[in-house]
Amino acid sequence: MRTLTTPRSPTVAAAAPAMPRRRRRPARTAAVWILVGPYTLFLAVFGLAPAGYALWTSFVDDGSFSGGRDWAAVFHDYRLGDAAAHVATYLLLWLPILLLAVLSLAFTLHARPGRTTSALQLVYYLPGAVTGSAAALLWLFMVSPDSSPFSPLLRLMDVKSATDALSGGSLIAVLTVMGVAVHAGGWIVVLYGALNALPKDVLEAAQVDGASAWRTMWHVKLPMVRTYVAFVLISSFASGSQVFVEPTVLSTGAPGQISPTWSVNQLAYVYATQDGDFGKAAALSLAMLAVGVLAAWIVITRTRMYATDSSDSR
Amino acid sequence: MKRWRAASLAAAAAAALVLSGCGGTGGGGGSGDGKGELLVWVDNTRMPAAQQYEKAHPDLRMRIVTIPPDAGYVPTKVSLANRTKSGWPDVVFLANPAEAATLASEKFGYAAPLDDLVPKTVRDGFTPGSLETCTFGGKVYCLRNDIAPTVLWYDAKLMKRYGYQVPKTWAEYQRTGLKAAEEHPGTIVGAVNGKYGAGIYFGSSGCPTRDTRSLTEVHIDLGGPNCTRVADLLQPLAREKAVTTVLPIDPGFAKFGKGDKILMLPAPAWFGDFMFGPAFKVPGGRVAAAPMPTWPGESKPYAGQVGGGAFLVSAHAGARTEQAADLVRWMTTDVNLQARQPTYPAFTAAAKKWGEAKSKDPYYASDPMPALTAAANALRPGFGAVRFEADWQSSFNDTFVKAVDSDGNLRDSLDSWQDKLEAAAGTSGYTVG
Repeated sequence: MRTLTTPRSPTVAAAAPAMPRRRRRPARTAAVWILVGPYTLFLAVFGLAPAGYALWTSFVDDGSFSGGRDWAAVFHDYRLGDAAAHVATYLLLWLPILLLAVLSLAFTLHARPGRTTSALQLVYYLPGAVTGSAAALLWLFMVSPDSSPFSPLLRLMDVKSATDALSGGSLIAVLTVMGVAVHAGGWIVVLYGALNALPKDVLEAAQVDGASAWRTMWHVKLPMVRTYVAFVLISSFASGSQVFVEPTVLSTGAPGQISPTWSVNQLAYVYATQDGDFGKAAALSLAMLAVGVLAAWIVITRTRMYATDSSDSR
Repeated sequence: MKRWRAASLAAAAAAALVLSGCGGTGGGGGSGDGKGELLVWVDNTRMPAAQQYEKAHPDLRMRIVTIPPDAGYVPTKVSLANRTKSGWPDVVFLANPAEAATLASEKFGYAAPLDDLVPKTVRDGFTPGSLETCTFGGKVYCLRNDIAPTVLWYDAKLMKRYGYQVPKTWAEYQRTGLKAAEEHPGTIVGAVNGKYGAGIYFGSSGCPTRDTRSLTEVHIDLGGPNCTRVADLLQPLAREKAVTTVLPIDPGFAKFGKGDKILMLPAPAWFGDFMFGPAFKVPGGRVAAAPMPTWPGESKPYAGQVGGGAFLVSAHAGARTEQAADLVRWMTTDVNLQARQPTYPAFTAAAKKWGEAKSKDPYYASDPMPALTAAANALRPGFGAVRFEADWQSSFNDTFVKAVDSDGNLRDSLDSWQDKLEAAAGTSGYTVG
């Protein structure tokens, strides 16, 4: 696949070799460590260390090696299949809709700059400003026909009460709509920022060559912002596969309607808190991490997210 | 290329690790042990009573912490305290008494048996059957603060206007319900959803959906007549929409009350004060209580249960155990204190005094206390506290309520409910008998 790369300014390109390399190296190294150091530290302390501890907990119970008992118990749990199916359905619905909404709205904003665009950016961002449990509570009101501003629409869809909206298969629809509304705004801002940073000369060249807005978007802009799109995908997959807050908070509005083990993350939480079984909780969390790593790796390799200009040219 | 692959895998792992942290859930540690002070966890409603006890015992060092009444909160905190081996409360109030089964289990080992701490004479003062929720393998692990026996609430004004009699048997209840649905469309005579459906109908019928024999044994058998008769009772009522699947605590339920559509509602005692007026907006002078209808072949109107709270003493209280037990005893049995509490006291003498004010409450069309007292004394045995309470509710919704909603065969749905209950019980460490 051919991708467009940002052309380097001839001035900079010419000036670069003239820079005294030896003197810059230590400064460069220091800069790299200053920039990457805190991240590495946080990754080690809050990422790798907990993951290592989880691995230990999943194999060691009360100081003695438990073998794969916890892992086997997790994979034989009758609730895991349902929870995984719920999360997979949610991801299948939510991820494409989210990506489509983010891409189409960000590209539309970028194609029509002006005052309205700035106002629209804010409008798109607003739903995303309310996140987590607050968003879930807000949506609890939104799906209750008695309090919702969209009650005529809800009645049209035969939703007569919050019980209707949150029970059975309709929960997935509510979570999907809610997930798009909550997450799209922030990503639109990120992607719009990335589009704004694209070199003007490339876009002008496309225009001069007679490329339509659609072709410019598809063949010029999209390849240049692919790393951002990949990042949206990885982040969204991670948060979507770990969906927890939304079903948990929504279930407080209609107790008993949503299973406390509706999602995989909720099941892990129930292991740790309700069942007091940290070994099983650790095993399931690590299994989820493995899925997240695999998904991230696929996206990264497919989109060549970390490919640099130099590696492209090889 | 290989290097790039390895680097990308590492990058993917790092990205996923960092991002996985974003969706995770944190949990704070438990409270400290307070260096000899009695650590008490109660909800907002029980706070003034705990403070009153503290005031009456100036020599006692107490720390009272307010906890939310949310289901799962206490087991969550206790499991964290178990992990850190510190921070257990000496006394805890459970808004959801089913959690006693979790906290008394071997895995948690939190609840202390009270048999030697609270004299039998005191325990005998509780409403018969009310401590069954707290009893596992013959040992009592908690004291009930209040109970929630079910009665047949009805709208006396509508009954009179329609010319109906308050049913005494479930067969009469079914006939009245079907008649009301035909003559006054939209009228409901019951609600079938979650614990409100399962606790009220199946609980009062004595259907063994959660009959605990010990901390590790539970009897579940939905094929028996005590279960199938509930399905047979509700099948025609469901078809004619005389029973609703809207959750009674859903704000959407108010439309039935506002529209004069609640003719009857078998529901717990606390619905009288907290649901009919404030939530359903049924005006004063209309709501009355009757005993639950009688099931075929029985002479006693048995009550189901939905709600009520309990107090537990920690097995880690050590030297403070006696003090903790005394506080729990006082909180649950002091007549003057219990007479002022909002819901039906579990202690018989306190319930009598509590009922004096209720009898005079002008909101009711007639004195509800005879029906409430009868219900409290007729709790159907076999409705135990189980560790799979949440699954008990959601599996009921997934099977029985789904069948009610879709005009399915209710008897058939009992088979799938049985399967789900057995799976839930097995996962929670029970053997199903």
